[in-house]
Amino acid sequence: MFRRKKALKTEDTHIKQLADIVGPKEVLFHKEDLISYESDGFTIHSHMPKAVVFPKNTEEVAAVVKYCADHDLPFLARGAGTGLSGGAIPLNGEVIISLVKMKRLLHVDLENRQAVVEPGYVNLKLTHSISDKGYYYAPDPSSQYCCTIGGNVAENAGGAHCLKYGVTTNHILGLEVVTPAGDIIEIGREGIADVPGYDLLGLITGSEGTLGIVTKITVRILKNPEEKQTVLAYFDRVEDGSRAVSDIVSRGIVPAALEMMDKIAIEGVEAAAFPVGHPKDIEALLLIEVDGISAGIEEQIDDILDVCKKRNVRSVKVAQDEKERAKWWANRKTGFGAMGAISPDYLVQDGVIPRSTLPQVLQKINEVSQETGLRIANIFHAGDGNLHPLILFDARVPGETEKALEAGSKCLQACADAGGSITGEHGVGIEKREEMRFVFTDQEIQAQTDVREVFNPHYLLNAGKLFPSSGRCAEIKAEQKKAASE
Amino acid sequence: MSVKENVVQEPPCTNQSLSNYLWKEKPDENKWADCVHCGMCLESCPTYEVTGQEQHSPRGRVHLIKSVAEGKLEVNEQFMDPVFACLDCKACTTACPADVDVGGLIEEARGQVRQALPLTGWRKMVSSFFLKGIFPHPSRIQTAGQLLKVYQKSGVQSVVRKTGVLHVLPDHLKTMESVMPKIKQPVRKKYKHEEVIKAKDKTKQEVAFLTGCVMDVMFSDINEATVNVLTRNGNDVAIPKQQTCCGALHVHAGDRDMGRKLAKQNIEAFEHADTVITNAAGCGCMLAEYPELFREEDTEWRERAEDFAKKVVDVSKYLHDTGYEKPEAKLNTTLTYHDACHLAHGQGVRQEPRDVLLDIPGVKMVPMANADRCCGSAGIYNITNPDMAGDVLESKIENVPEEAEMISMGNPGCMLQMAMGVEKHGRNQQIVHTVQLLDWAYQKEDQERGRK
Repeated sequence: MFRRKKALKTEDTHIKQLADIVGPKEVLFHKEDLISYESDGFTIHSHMPKAVVFPKNTEEVAAVVKYCADHDLPFLARGAGTGLSGGAIPLNGEVIISLVKMKRLLHVDLENRQAVVEPGYVNLKLTHSISDKGYYYAPDPSSQYCCTIGGNVAENAGGAHCLKYGVTTNHILGLEVVTPAGDIIEIGREGIADVPGYDLLGLITGSEGTLGIVTKITVRILKNPEEKQTVLAYFDRVEDGSRAVSDIVSRGIVPAALEMMDKIAIEGVEAAAFPVGHPKDIEALLLIEVDGISAGIEEQIDDILDVCKKRNVRSVKVAQDEKERAKWWANRKTGFGAMGAISPDYLVQDGVIPRSTLPQVLQKINEVSQETGLRIANIFHAGDGNLHPLILFDARVPGETEKALEAGSKCLQACADAGGSITGEHGVGIEKREEMRFVFTDQEIQAQTDVREVFNPHYLLNAGKLFPSSGRCAEIKAEQKKAASE
Repeated sequence: MSVKENVVQEPPCTNQSLSNYLWKEKPDENKWADCVHCGMCLESCPTYEVTGQEQHSPRGRVHLIKSVAEGKLEVNEQFMDPVFACLDCKACTTACPADVDVGGLIEEARGQVRQALPLTGWRKMVSSFFLKGIFPHPSRIQTAGQLLKVYQKSGVQSVVRKTGVLHVLPDHLKTMESVMPKIKQPVRKKYKHEEVIKAKDKTKQEVAFLTGCVMDVMFSDINEATVNVLTRNGNDVAIPKQQTCCGALHVHAGDRDMGRKLAKQNIEAFEHADTVITNAAGCGCMLAEYPELFREEDTEWRERAEDFAKKVVDVSKYLHDTGYEKPEAKLNTTLTYHDACHLAHGQGVRQEPRDVLLDIPGVKMVPMANADRCCGSAGIYNITNPDMAGDVLESKIENVPEEAEMISMGNPGCMLQMAMGVEKHGRNQQIVHTVQLLDWAYQKEDQERGRK
């Protein structure tokens, strides 16, 4: 009853050819179906793709890529589309190659502590499927409930626990990559920590989908720590909180995670779906986790409590059980989405600064907020100096979007001025292309686009991302080449 | 900077004149204003799990609905597909960090679709036969029930099964026929001469009971068990005669006018009750959402709907909160619990039914992975979207632990669907309602006492 049959009704030969590769059900091309793909987790930009295809295996990915390359169709790869810098937005009307149907866990090798996954496999699922054996996958971006490991590789994703364990690139042992020409290559070798030659693993990881499409990933898995303790500390002054962060690290403690939220952020998470009951009148909170072998954990906790007290903490407590700990983390990890509860739109920035400059930079961000009249919440990985100012705005108010972008740029300038960088883990994407100039000279940018040209000579794969686009010689060269081939 | 140029090209958002929603009760802008497109909902969505396609995900649907309001899309067939493929399971509401009411938006959008593209031909006939001709009329439901009973008892059922007449039905309806429970006497009929069914011992409180449509015809023994359990625990139970279908099926299908009509009748029927007990999660959730139906209506009905909604409570939560006698007889069984979407996601009732079950001596509970994942029943979704419902069901059944002898739950739609799943996938679990088990334990206790 009510069953609807869907036939491929189109005159577009490209769509028909793509459907021949992946199957008619695995191609979207109607406007209504495509509009959900006009942006990812970064919503300030939106562009319609030409089509979305859902390959089921590496060969299909390679065939689609080859078809696009042969017919001069721009294309890009997309995972769960939770990226925060617009890396998966089809700026040039790309054919989107969605990898969400390649979502298998292919192999787990506990002996060598590694697992092989397809790119569409969801980050947290890996930990869930090996936790009963006492293992986990360390990189834990806040979107780990839904983001894919393929996307994590593209963005070199970080997360709360990367302070101690490193970001995605530190956990990648091997990749299978489809090159922009449609060839399938293997980089790194399973079970081998290092291979001779250039470190292509390092190059591809974090290349934001501009050098190739990853179709198989070998990751490192870790043994669960023997013990874990989590501390929640409330401060009346942001400065005290941020000084406590530096003090903890300079005492020689390497917490697994060291997170901070300010007053506006706390207002957001408390108004949203996973409140903890944080006091409304505190200026900052720290969420601190230490883990490792049981011996020594107690001393570390004592040290942390001591630092907090010296920095005038209002109150501080240790999680009594796993339930309380999970509650604190759910509150923290859903923090970005929670901003929806107090603002119609937000723009999240992702600067990195030397830990010791935290108080000044936070002060500077506060000034930006006052100058632009936009509220800015801060939820961030304080331990590794990775700031996330969340600029709250309402896109329906004329001019506010531009103001938010300007505020974001100013925050990044402040990070760069303090000796930091413009992205810690979200990538550059579309969002921070211009800001790349804050940290790189023209020559340095040129050196990088030259590398891209080796992999992506026709510049059909994810063009317009990662580097400032206008006036770049490499860019012009690519355009000339494209024009000549047409 | 190129970033800004692109921004300026965007049409100004919610300019009302651009909206392609042309009928009353437009999807509520405030509902999508909360969505920041973060994607935390993706993995919670059964239709996204099956398709991997964003237009079949919560944030994708919200974006589509918003795009029509912004004039980028029109209300057409292509828009209708994702909007009607939603199971209404509300799992996204639980997952969403910003509490976006995706379900509410979907229902409002369906209202627009139904007005823009009214059903025609045989679909209209089938839909109005069931939704307008049968469900709003308790007597006709009972008649339909009688017919089913005759079908089963007279031997026609076995003849039909043997002769293979059923082969003309699509597969999913064949399986449904094969798991149809035995039709017994509806509770509303049985107690039609009693104003109030008195508590067994001393009266602590009086409650009113919504018997439901499907529940009272297909699963009247569960309604009977509900009355038994309530009266045993000191509750006088009233079954108001004016009560009617809750309207959930109508609202899910986009017929909000009919939904409102039924809502008004129920609000009046239960005017004098302090507590309205439901044992069907879908109905309970609908009753609690009546205020949404009067969002654009006059304040009087909105207020009455709000007062009414506060009185609605699921039987397991009611028992849990007001206290109940713990059974002494042992029911030696291993069971697992399935969270009905409209109980867990819709009403936030998760632990209460589990506690009730664990209070029964001899009950061993084994957890089901993804217990609060939709089974695919979703009202009449399994009839209207059989392929998607079948895929969703398959992944549900995979999670049913082997050692479980029973699967307990709190919604008749889920019970039928899970029974189908068990049948279709060659499993052998018995499907039971939470209060049914409690009632069995009480009955066994009485028998054992009687024997002593």
